[in-house]
Amino acid sequence: MVARDVVITGRGAVTSIGEGADRFLDALYERRSGIADGLGPCAEFDPEVAMTPKEARRSDRFTHLAVAAAEQAVAEAGLPDGIEPERFGVLMGSAVGGLETLERECRSWLEKGDRGVSPLFVTMMMPNAAAGTIAMRLNARGPGFSVASACATGAHAIGEAARMVARGEADVVVAGGTEATLNGLTIAAFKSLGALSKAGISRPFDARRDGFVMGEGAGALILESEEHAKARGVPIRGRVVGYGASNDAFHITEPDREGRGATAAMVNALRDAEAQPGDVGYVNAHGTSTPYNDKVETLALHAVFNGGAPPVSSTKSAIGHLLGAAGAVEAVAALGAIERGLLPPTINYEEPDPECDLDYVPDGPREAPDLKLALSNSFGFGGQNACLAIGAA
Amino acid sequence: MNEQAILEQVRDALAQIKVPGADEAGMETTWADLDVDSLDLVEVVRILEDHYGIQIIDEKLEGVESVGDAVRLIQSIAAEQEGVSA
Repeated sequence: MVARDVVITGRGAVTSIGEGADRFLDALYERRSGIADGLGPCAEFDPEVAMTPKEARRSDRFTHLAVAAAEQAVAEAGLPDGIEPERFGVLMGSAVGGLETLERECRSWLEKGDRGVSPLFVTMMMPNAAAGTIAMRLNARGPGFSVASACATGAHAIGEAARMVARGEADVVVAGGTEATLNGLTIAAFKSLGALSKAGISRPFDARRDGFVMGEGAGALILESEEHAKARGVPIRGRVVGYGASNDAFHITEPDREGRGATAAMVNALRDAEAQPGDVGYVNAHGTSTPYNDKVETLALHAVFNGGAPPVSSTKSAIGHLLGAAGAVEAVAALGAIERGLLPPTINYEEPDPECDLDYVPDGPREAPDLKLALSNSFGFGGQNACLAIGAA
Repeated sequence: MNEQAILEQVRDALAQIKVPGADEAGMETTWADLDVDSLDLVEVVRILEDHYGIQIIDEKLEGVESVGDAVRLIQSIAAEQEGVSA
């Protein structure tokens, strides 16, 4: 089997600082923050822009966000015209699925008993609802499912989708992640775990960081075999040149103290890309703003780059942590950095931490006209890690 | 029970689940005309059961393909149940 080159021909993003990949990137470079009162909601998002009222009513918000991001991406890629439905896949992940629906239905069940539970509960909550809905809308009858690896979901989805295209199982795949968990139950759950910032500020790698800030949104990429994209005559925006995955096999929430899992994911991605550490010009960090993650990720970056790490920044400083969508939205940011030759900043970074001693681009955006290869890191609860190597067109 | 009143309730149930064209639906309008699928039908039945305090068993739904079919089914079930309680 000859692996085919995988190119990116479309992008979609719904975030608290902008809808549409370019609006999101513009806001990122303008150093805008989508965080208010300790949360990063997509406050202006209207599901009925992409869906009919009936479709919107029958699906959870995480599906609404995913459909919007996917529609943006397919529009940019000039799809679905010119693709065989059987060669068109959808791999859209979510860390937890429709927890807003779960909360509402539980409340209704406790109040009204079995009769209070909606017939739509299962189909709205299931984590693969977004992938299924997108496939129906696009008549994508190739491979389709969702992946779930907590906060690494979006990156795993894109990485696995790239392999699907490389292996020839599909010519085009809509890949990404989505999450909508800014509901009382889920916020309480993360608060109870002690994972959220008490200050309500996302400041990755800063000495004062005290936890992550929950955001919501979705990201999608159109991954396509190079020959298919060229035959369609559509612009190639970038490439997924490598993907690495690993397990910490250490703890259900804490990262391995020495960052061995994170290191392995990056090393695997570089090996997959047949690239050397010195080829990497930028790393979009997982950078959650939790005390442990940012310290351990820094250790891992030292291990991979052996003292010569390139500039690193965290998109979560602007939009918070999008859980299962994070890796997908951040892949859009990493691709944007290459396309625009401009590194996005880590905002809110003011007080250096001796244990986080890399260049986090606090003063960004920063010119990087020669950027050809970027890594995008995502590490999930459960100890599951993914790293994408994104290359120039 | 009055046919027109039940028709209004069926329309209302369809509108609650945001079926386009619910307000204009008449006795002859079919589920296919309204693009009502199996999942919609489960919801409509649930809403009407709650409204009328009746139970519509799945077997009774066989052959119910239109708004008028649903109206007549509700009429007959309500009549049966009134008969039982009388």
